[in-house]
Amino acid sequence: MEKLFCLLAVLSLAGLSAASSACTKPEVSAQSYTTPDATILTNIGFVAEFTLTCGNGIQNPPLFAELGGKTQPVARIGANKYQVSWVEDVKKARRGDYTINIYDEENYAALRKAIRNNEDISTVKPLAAVVLNYPGAYQGPWVNSEFMAFALSIAVWYAAFSAKSKLLA
Amino acid sequence: MKSLYVAVLLLAASGLVMSAEEDSSSQAKLLVSKQIFNKYLVEDMDIVLKYSIYNVGSSAAVNVALKDSSFPADSFTVVGGSLELNVDRIPPGANVSHVVVVRPRKPGYFNFSSAEVNYLPSDEAKQPQYAVSSEPGEGGIIAFRDFDKKFSPHVLDWAFFAVMTLPCLLIPFLLWWSSKSKYEALVKGGKKEKST
Repeated sequence: MEKLFCLLAVLSLAGLSAASSACTKPEVSAQSYTTPDATILTNIGFVAEFTLTCGNGIQNPPLFAELGGKTQPVARIGANKYQVSWVEDVKKARRGDYTINIYDEENYAALRKAIRNNEDISTVKPLAAVVLNYPGAYQGPWVNSEFMAFALSIAVWYAAFSAKSKLLA
Repeated sequence: MKSLYVAVLLLAASGLVMSAEEDSSSQAKLLVSKQIFNKYLVEDMDIVLKYSIYNVGSSAAVNVALKDSSFPADSFTVVGGSLELNVDRIPPGANVSHVVVVRPRKPGYFNFSSAEVNYLPSDEAKQPQYAVSSEPGEGGIIAFRDFDKKFSPHVLDWAFFAVMTLPCLLIPFLLWWSSKSKYEALVKGGKKEKST
């Protein structure tokens, strides 16, 4: 009997902890990295790292990320530290801000349901959002310097030739 | 040059190592690929690595831990992302992609080997499953000097060339210009004298 009671207590505790596993008052501090020089790359790497601090002291909750309608589990790279990252073709990569919505398990279930029912996913409130700014990457010079030198020499020759023909005319 | 070129290696299908279990019907199976998104590997320039984990099994993979210890700290610096990651659950059919950006510190040939993955194939499983990712293979890292020699726009060199050609263009032009303005002044002066 005592054993059963003990088990019940453990079960209820587990239930409690499951119920309170939601992260409240989440605080996110993020840093990001995108490749500045894309001359030798085929794809740009987007890396957003963030630290999540929960108001109720939950440690390392499993998280999910949503970006442009695609979802995936978030990789944890340390204590309460997470990373969301992806690659995009150099030519297709869009400059500007990318907003990554972060969901915990409860929100994610709601999000999945919304996606399944073809509902607007913006109705599901994310736990937090991380913004990654991509300022663009250097993809080589606009014009070849050889071409530039050629054009300049043509211009000088033309100026000299037209001046000469004007004199002789 | 060909050896310097590291193509995007889609070895996801071929490079996986999975020790197949007999009762694989309700177990997670992870395919792990490691790809490099570079046209050239250059010293002190970014190498974009992507690890893709795909669960082809019928159950969620639990406590997935990926670790890539193939980049020694004395020859590579990690500039973005982490070479070690944990994912609590990867549901069946789900994809996790993870990108790390590293910079090689010195030129030379380097064998890009595989990353290691550990996971539990189901919630009840006690024996962790060990897997390795695909290997991008060996690639030559070019010294930055050589790369710059070949691919930089050589703006400084062309500027130097322009400065060198300047005297032999500018001196005749200035001589001509001075005589031209002298004659024009004379012509104008002569006209003025005639009209008065």
